[in-house]
Amino acid sequence: MKAIIQVERLTKSYGGKRGIVDVSFEVPEGEVFGFLGPNGAGKTTTIRLLMALLHPDAGSARIAGLDCWQQSIEIKRLVGYVPGEPALDPNLTGGQILEYFANLRGGVDRPYLTQLIKRLDLDLNRKFHQYSTGNKRKVVLIQAFMHRPKVLILDEPTSGLDPLNQQVFDGMVKDARESGSTVFLSSHVLSEVEKTCTRVGIIREGRLVRIGGIADVKAIKRYEITISFASPVPPETFASLEGVEKVEVLNEGHAVRLAIQGSADAVVKTAARYPVVSLTSYEPSLEDIFLRYYQADGKVPEEAANVV
Amino acid sequence: MWFKSVLVKTLRDYRIAILGWGIGMGLVVVSPMATVSTLISTPQQRAELASLAASFAWNAELVAPTVGGYATFKIGIFIFLICVWPLLAASRMLRGEEERGSMDVLLSLPRSRVRVAVEKVAAMWVALLAMGVLIGLVAFAGGEQFKGDFNVVDALLFGLDLALVCAVFGGLALLISQFTQERGTAAGWTAALLLVFIVLDMVHRVIPNTVWISQLSPIYYYNLSKPLVPSYGASAGGMLVLAGLSVGLAAVAVWLFARRDVGDTVALPAWLRLPQRAARANVMPAGEWSLRSIYARGLGMVAMPTLWWTLGIAGGAAWFVVVIKQSEAKLQELASGSSFFQTLITQFGSSNAGFNANLLSAIFLILPLLLMAFAVTQVNRWSSDEVDGRLDIVLSTPQSRLFVLLGRFAALTTATIVIGVMTLAATALAASAAGLKLDTGNLAAATLGMIPMGLLVAAVGYLAAGWLRTAADTGLLSFLLAAWFFISFIGPDLKLPDGTLRLSPFYYYGTPLVHGLQLADMVLLVSVGVLALALGSVRFMRKDIAV
Repeated sequence: MKAIIQVERLTKSYGGKRGIVDVSFEVPEGEVFGFLGPNGAGKTTTIRLLMALLHPDAGSARIAGLDCWQQSIEIKRLVGYVPGEPALDPNLTGGQILEYFANLRGGVDRPYLTQLIKRLDLDLNRKFHQYSTGNKRKVVLIQAFMHRPKVLILDEPTSGLDPLNQQVFDGMVKDARESGSTVFLSSHVLSEVEKTCTRVGIIREGRLVRIGGIADVKAIKRYEITISFASPVPPETFASLEGVEKVEVLNEGHAVRLAIQGSADAVVKTAARYPVVSLTSYEPSLEDIFLRYYQADGKVPEEAANVV
Repeated sequence: MWFKSVLVKTLRDYRIAILGWGIGMGLVVVSPMATVSTLISTPQQRAELASLAASFAWNAELVAPTVGGYATFKIGIFIFLICVWPLLAASRMLRGEEERGSMDVLLSLPRSRVRVAVEKVAAMWVALLAMGVLIGLVAFAGGEQFKGDFNVVDALLFGLDLALVCAVFGGLALLISQFTQERGTAAGWTAALLLVFIVLDMVHRVIPNTVWISQLSPIYYYNLSKPLVPSYGASAGGMLVLAGLSVGLAAVAVWLFARRDVGDTVALPAWLRLPQRAARANVMPAGEWSLRSIYARGLGMVAMPTLWWTLGIAGGAAWFVVVIKQSEAKLQELASGSSFFQTLITQFGSSNAGFNANLLSAIFLILPLLLMAFAVTQVNRWSSDEVDGRLDIVLSTPQSRLFVLLGRFAALTTATIVIGVMTLAATALAASAAGLKLDTGNLAAATLGMIPMGLLVAAVGYLAAGWLRTAADTGLLSFLLAAWFFISFIGPDLKLPDGTLRLSPFYYYGTPLVHGLQLADMVLLVSVGVLALALGSVRFMRKDIAV
């Protein structure tokens, strides 16, 4: 499918401080793309470059074939944007804010706007500074969706939303996707990205370290297997096995918890030599994968780098 | 060390203001000392001044032929500016922290609300005292340099008097902020009350038997002390009243703060509350004029400040017109007997112009300064909107950066024009009602001529906002404003070269109430403003937003 967002070797620094370095990726039309990374990794910098709020030092970013900096006005007609920190005029009510942005966009589909307001159950009569964090986020979400944009660029869109409203948000993203919109979202809520996105990019210290489908990323298996034995088993038995990254002794040696990369064949065969009481295996969550990429040494496994 | 307590941390926040405001205001006091010797060089001039002092209560210290007396007169004009810092600091002290949400964290510490508030108030008082000491020491140094006849204790008492009156307005701002949702509203109300109190203090100088009215104003008690005038001295009673007011206002504010919800306001008595609106339907405010465009929204944002500043500038100008008419006979009698007074007045006017026009011309020099200060506050808002990220979503709509900047600037231009026109209307009406004859063309020139001055400051501010963050931008503009005013106000006395005098926009504004506006000068001012705005626009179109 045709790429609607094309980022090529995008680089941005703030004086001497690193922003992002040589970031390249493409997002096909109609995809929901998750952009993951810890604080300060460069997610917001990338998004602000896409929104032409920052000028790139090098590289290019295009949306719908248009240059993000040179043709930003045309792009903004196509895009709905949620910033990481919703900052709006504190003295306007939610209704006034939405009316203002509807006017700046040259008008919006009023019944659809009313539907969004009802869907998120927003009180329009309170001033922005009187809203709770979640309600502030609702205002910003509605203004991003209200003109049925072709592309949604959302920076931590569910931050501050309660689980019920997160579900509503998931529904809004699903509807947007079904109507052909492309969604580019950054998030710390990895389970949500797992639910919502079709592909994921992971950024670390300004560099894109991984990009791939959710299934591909999860394929970098890192099992956790807990095996209970009838009698204590020396942990060294498992520590030297191929694929075993970590051994944790539990229950005074009667059980071990193993972190395994790749095949579990050797572990299963070795365990079979002892009287096994139980064996439990945990599927790695995206959270686990994510944390692994940002472990202290920061090394990216070689085999992981090839997954696309 | 700086983070040991709320008091010390708050003092740390004030450290730059203490130094800057203290030394800056100290220099303001010293500047006129440099020029006084030339104004009272002959025994005849001294004698004239002494006789004036005996017969007229209008700024008696003006006519006291001393270095300290002249400085006291000059500093009197700036009492509004001096009170700006405590007014802003106190309105920000509790309400500002609540707006930012940092008060919640502060109050989660094992400290009572009263203690937190008291420590913050104490920090402001310490800061004001430190400023007072700095002002006093700089004034003393100036006195030593220019042969003033006051000693270091007099100078420190002068600083203390200033600190006390500042503490009163700080306390007032703190109290008002307990009733407002936003710190800006509290600062606006306090500034308006400050203007009212300044006017109240003046009443007894021009209308006989009205001392009781002036006694309602804290400024009256500040003016009871003139420590730099040795024959006048300091008034312990006046200072005690100021100290009592400061403590009283702050105590009530802290008491209210300890009893209300954080983030909410003190509930007013039922008879003071606005009638409750019926529950509004949850519908969009379609058709609201201020939401139609960037320009309309800019107007909506600037509307309330414009109202307050119009009341201050136009109302103040009209009041001056009435006062001058009422005291015309007395002032003319004084002027006819004093060549010094005549020289002083014609410094801002012309020997050919009428007495009233000359006197008003001197007073009208303050009006463009105030309009320029209004422009500084609006530049501050533009800059903080960008820095705080409030432009991000606006710029995510299909509006060009240039259109956004020009829309906001156009709204500010409209506000500036409104203030200028209202000032013209108010002064013309006041002159007509009081029976004061003023040249209509010159009056229009004096009031409408302020508009390019305000817009010049705004344009320079927009340009500087392309590189500087909000505080630095506001600081730069404030510095420029002070520098320009002193170049024009003190410069001629200091015999500054013409090239230096021409650096100030006030030079090009001139004395329009007497001489009218010089077209070439206005064109130059407007051209510089347009150039600054053009450069500011180019910078804004290319810069990283909120970085």
